[in-house]
Amino acid sequence: MIRVRGLSKEFGTIDNGSGVLALSDIDFEVHDNEFVTIIGPSGCGKTTLLRIIAGLIPFDQGEVTIDGRPVTGPGPERAVVFQSFALMPWADVLANITFGLEVRGAAPEECRDKAKHLIKLVGLEGFEKRLPKELSGGMQQRVGLARALAVDPQILLMDEPFGALDEQTRRLLQEQLLRLWEEQRKTVVFVTHSMDEAVMLGDRVMLMTPRPGRVKEMIDVPLARPRSPQVEKSSAFVEVKEYLWENLRAMQANQA
Amino acid sequence: MKKRIVLDWALRLAVFSAAVGLWELFVSSSQNFLLPRFTDVTKGLFRLLFEARFWEALYISNQALIFGFAISVLIGVPLGLLAGRFRWMDRVLNPYVGVLLTMPVAPLIPIVIIALGLGIAARVFIVVLFAFVFITVNTRAGVRGVEALLIEMAKSFGASEAQIWRRIVIPGAMPAIFAGMRISLGRAITGMVMVELILVASGLGRLLLEFSGRMQSDLVFATVLAVIIEALALLAGMQALEKRITRWAPDISIG
Repeated sequence: MIRVRGLSKEFGTIDNGSGVLALSDIDFEVHDNEFVTIIGPSGCGKTTLLRIIAGLIPFDQGEVTIDGRPVTGPGPERAVVFQSFALMPWADVLANITFGLEVRGAAPEECRDKAKHLIKLVGLEGFEKRLPKELSGGMQQRVGLARALAVDPQILLMDEPFGALDEQTRRLLQEQLLRLWEEQRKTVVFVTHSMDEAVMLGDRVMLMTPRPGRVKEMIDVPLARPRSPQVEKSSAFVEVKEYLWENLRAMQANQA
Repeated sequence: MKKRIVLDWALRLAVFSAAVGLWELFVSSSQNFLLPRFTDVTKGLFRLLFEARFWEALYISNQALIFGFAISVLIGVPLGLLAGRFRWMDRVLNPYVGVLLTMPVAPLIPIVIIALGLGIAARVFIVVLFAFVFITVNTRAGVRGVEALLIEMAKSFGASEAQIWRRIVIPGAMPAIFAGMRISLGRAITGMVMVELILVASGLGRLLLEFSGRMQSDLVFATVLAVIIEALALLAGMQALEKRITRWAPDISIG
């Protein structure tokens, strides 16, 4: 379980002492095997929050724990999927997928076996030897996803992973992620700015407000699993989405 | 692809013929009988190829070049990596890099020879002085150019600093390291010939001095031509290596 208590984060305190408050008094939990999406206008600190949970940046106040252990840096139970993929341009698909495994000291045979399995899982057979620049954006992010899954984390932290993709590709990858999640049931924290995506994927949607970033509300998504793309037409989906939009529009009224 | 290569070579040949043509034209219209024709130079080069003293000179000069260049890489790459990765290191090195980039090395040659004598050490030292800083500057820029996101990605998987260097920083800086090595190879060759010409009469420099002393200008040009051919061969070898190692990078070098 991820537990965040009274978390605050300021930027730019080193130079002049009066920094920008990026996150203020954040409280929430993510239960095991739960899929939580985080949505909010830009400037609400959602990516900062994810990076803090990933252990990539420090925070100023409060506590972040995973199964009771405080987060002080990256850990083997977590893996991150990045918005702009973060693939090594000099390494082929196979080497990119096994990167995390190798860094964590896995034997070459284990890397090979796992990579083979994952390449099949994300549908990249035949592309093992390709370089990232030879792949479409959607395929690149499937490599990013496979790399994260390769280390078999309990928790998957996804930072607007489909934000850089075109809409058609995004929807295909959302469906693929839903299928994968049904099989593996990992704990997922998924940052997005797409309301459709937030509702479609999440068990709960965490709505954040900007400047400083705070948790406005945790919204349950009353949609049964497994979900098919058809859920978009259900009244529950539309209702939650409308509710999100009302709130988000109110936050952005004097900024757009 | 094949068509492009044929076209490239056709154009290169055209440029070459035009240059040689202008050369011949200039020489035949000139009253100066010391100016060699291109054909004389080619003949001279051909003659040199069968002379032991030419190969001896080439061997002697290349000792300084190869050791000097190798040392330049061994000094230049690590310094560039450190300056690229650590801000404080960059701040410390910055003024010295500036000095080395702008300093005219030729006037220092006599001083180096006073300090190190007339042997190979002085020649190697001059070559290093000519060459290494360009590797440092390029390597530093290459490291700076490595995406911060990739380093963050590596950290997210728990990579150690050593793993980040080996898996991210060095491969990412590779194209820039090669660019630096290409520039500094040219500088190293300049350094090699210059030190031999100015004070240490040895190798190709000594040969050049002999030829020009005897007014054998065709052989002077032929020796210079030999140096150019060697430089081109070395560059081609380096580019082949570069292509193999940095197949992933956007193509910035001439191939």
